[in-house]
Amino acid sequence: MNSISSTIEFLKQSLAVVASAESMDWLELQVAKIKADKGSMKLFLSFSQASRHFSKHPMDLPIETLQKAEAIRSGFSLKNWTGLQTARVILVLEAFSEDHKKWFEDMEKLFESADIHEQEALYAALPIYPFQEKFTKRAAEGLRSNMTSVFDAIALNNPYPADYLSEQAWNQMVLKAIFMQRPLYRIVGVEQRQNVNLATTLVDYIHERWSAGRNVIPELWRFLSPFINEEIVGLLEKVGEKGDELEKLAAALACHESDNLAAKELLAKQPEIKEKIENGEINWERIGEDFEALN
Amino acid sequence: MMYIDPHIHVTSRTTDDYEAMQKAGIVAIIEPAFWLGQARTKVGSFQDYFSSLVGWERFRAKQFGIVHYCTIGLNSREANNVALAEEVMELLPLYVSKEGVVAIGEIGYDDQTEAEDRFYRLQLELAKEVDLPVMIHTPHRDKKKGTIRSMDVSEEHGLAPNMVIVDHNNEETVNDVLDRGYWAAFTIYPHTKMGSERMVEIVRQYGPERIIVDSAADWGISDPLAVPKTAALMREKGIPEEHIKMTCYGNALKAYGQSGQMEEKDWLEKEPIDQTKKMGGNTVLRGGQNPRVDSDSSNIIEN
Repeated sequence: MNSISSTIEFLKQSLAVVASAESMDWLELQVAKIKADKGSMKLFLSFSQASRHFSKHPMDLPIETLQKAEAIRSGFSLKNWTGLQTARVILVLEAFSEDHKKWFEDMEKLFESADIHEQEALYAALPIYPFQEKFTKRAAEGLRSNMTSVFDAIALNNPYPADYLSEQAWNQMVLKAIFMQRPLYRIVGVEQRQNVNLATTLVDYIHERWSAGRNVIPELWRFLSPFINEEIVGLLEKVGEKGDELEKLAAALACHESDNLAAKELLAKQPEIKEKIENGEINWERIGEDFEALN
Repeated sequence: MMYIDPHIHVTSRTTDDYEAMQKAGIVAIIEPAFWLGQARTKVGSFQDYFSSLVGWERFRAKQFGIVHYCTIGLNSREANNVALAEEVMELLPLYVSKEGVVAIGEIGYDDQTEAEDRFYRLQLELAKEVDLPVMIHTPHRDKKKGTIRSMDVSEEHGLAPNMVIVDHNNEETVNDVLDRGYWAAFTIYPHTKMGSERMVEIVRQYGPERIIVDSAADWGISDPLAVPKTAALMREKGIPEEHIKMTCYGNALKAYGQSGQMEEKDWLEKEPIDQTKKMGGNTVLRGGQNPRVDSDSSNIIEN
């Protein structure tokens, strides 16, 4: 974890690529006011008013800038960040001072009173806050949101959940992401957090969906692949018979990742797909992207 | 034809209403902070209510293709719980500068008590400070005096009439309100406020300048389609199209657009395609549902 000041410096440099000089001046003025304010009103007001000065479009930063994020925090990315959210995060980081208690109270108040875009900004920045381990309850609360973009701010392209969520909270996040049909390939740290409890729950979920005459999203099979047993092979076989193209590819990829012999045999029956997997043409990201494009 | 309903409490309405509103041509709505029917006893109830106006309800409206704005304020009825009202006043600065907050409101008088007067004045000052328009709720009882008093006090605090929308007008108040340069809003709400036929006659008599039609639909027997229905009736009764457009769309945009928080492009220009905001992923339309578009009745509910 890098120091806060270098994080702020990096965010300001990135923001300056897309924002006007006037907007950056406004931001600096607010920072000065926040630092001089004994109370919290300057922070609260500028945090909201940032929408009058910065754009809600993704910043679309050059690749060199994006790569620097990794040095700030492993897994951290500005790829989908907007100018507005970057400005807001700069404000809350600048508000961090010796008085930690006040900062945590202010953050709590900001989270509680935030509008949709403000929530997106606050949650996406979890991995770059000081004392970020103290935000696990807040992250779990945000994941309970039914506002898709708020849920996404935590669950997608964000290294925080994999690093800090308990197994139970992690599993709830993945289940909800599946339920909400979110692009699972954008969840960071899937491999390191695979667990059998999640796989067992997903097997129940698959049965429930199929009984109701509904499909499951193809990316789901990724979370079963390390735990494939006889029962799951049976499910994969069914997908092989009745599933659509993408589901079949996903089932094959799960078989490929498994050490289970029956799964290997199942894959061997589809030499063309097997070959594509082996030469890297089929992977979870590709399946996720294709599914997203179809829906 | 596009319509704006600049006063509707959609928190109390169903998704059926949203669908019907969208189909009838409503592109944008303003939800004023108001009384929920049940009096609040804790400041936290206000906070969560304000948060839902800028959060959840805005999200919900968007699922149906309607742009949701709101006004933030302490309503006159609850101003009478003075200790609580003082706490709410401390909360307001947190919300008034948020995106999509187009006015301080609905504020004004209900029983015209001393406490109502005090918090009305404090909120007029707040509106001046943050340079937002004001939406005034005029009382049900002793309406004419209450309406005139609302304007007098607003002027005492130095607010320009063009920054103030006086709502819930009727035939008895409209003259004064228009004469003094205010926006005059009319609420088409069955039995208690205005019917649409009376509204047509008012537009015929006074013309379309600074007149705004709204529904104020809430948890009572009210009609979320009041604006498009009134527009249709105006059309039937020979009101010029341009006048319909002004009273049911343009004037509201002009009045509340003064906040800098509401522009036509918000609904004319679609947002850039963003994978995170796809319909399939939201949970008002659970698990990949599509908004219902068919209107024929059937006993089959989609799986």
